[in-house]
Amino acid sequence: MSVPHARGFLLLRRAGGCWGIASAAVDGLVARGAGYRISVGEAALAADEILGVVEDLRVRPAAPVLRRFWPEVTAGLAVHGRLPVVVVDPRHPPAALRFDEGERRDEGRD
Amino acid sequence: MSEPIERETRREGTHLLVRAGEYACALPLGAVRRVVRAVMVHPLPGAAGELEGLAEFGGEPLPVLNLGRLVNAPPGANPAYPVTVVVWVGPAGAREMVGLSADAALEVVHVPADSVVAGDGGLLLGEAPVGDEVVRVLNLEALGREA
Repeated sequence: MSVPHARGFLLLRRAGGCWGIASAAVDGLVARGAGYRISVGEAALAADEILGVVEDLRVRPAAPVLRRFWPEVTAGLAVHGRLPVVVVDPRHPPAALRFDEGERRDEGRD
Repeated sequence: MSEPIERETRREGTHLLVRAGEYACALPLGAVRRVVRAVMVHPLPGAAGELEGLAEFGGEPLPVLNLGRLVNAPPGANPAYPVTVVVWVGPAGAREMVGLSADAALEVVHVPADSVVAGDGGLLLGEAPVGDEVVRVLNLEALGREA
């Protein structure tokens, strides 16, 4: 699946949290094993579950207190329904979202 | 003539006392927005131990910090009714909303400013006697500052 120039945000679950990626930054999305592989520029990201695409997400900048205790760079924070969402900066995807070597090995079995 | 000043001083000295592990901590009441049953927290992988994760509160994303970890409190007994204290942190012009997870909300107390001693210049404003216990008096403005 390729979603170039799409509007809104792709919402996904990974590592117990909910993450959002601007759809316009997503180059591809394919099912891999029990999860998904998402292409964002040159990066390969992983998702445990795809929650869907939302058109509107009110993104607030991450507050200093968050930056103080969490080293990752984000595009901001949002809420979808009652779920807090970390909005990913496509240039600096957090380590928890990276498609790791184990998942690459699993890919070969598909 | 001095009555309004006394009232203002008394208001500034009013704190919410909460239990965090073995410690009792006094939070300035003016910075407390709400006390709720412990909210559901979604973890942030790679975060420091003090940051439990993110929650939703009133339609806004809420970073939740573990108060016991913030003040290095020895762990206490399993809390029967853990709470999240939603507070404002940071300086007045740039305050932000944060949740503090604590073991229990205890009571509202008055802590006179001149009874607070030996702070660290940061989150810990100092210690003060309240009843038969020494409590940690916290400066929540300091928590919102960049490290």
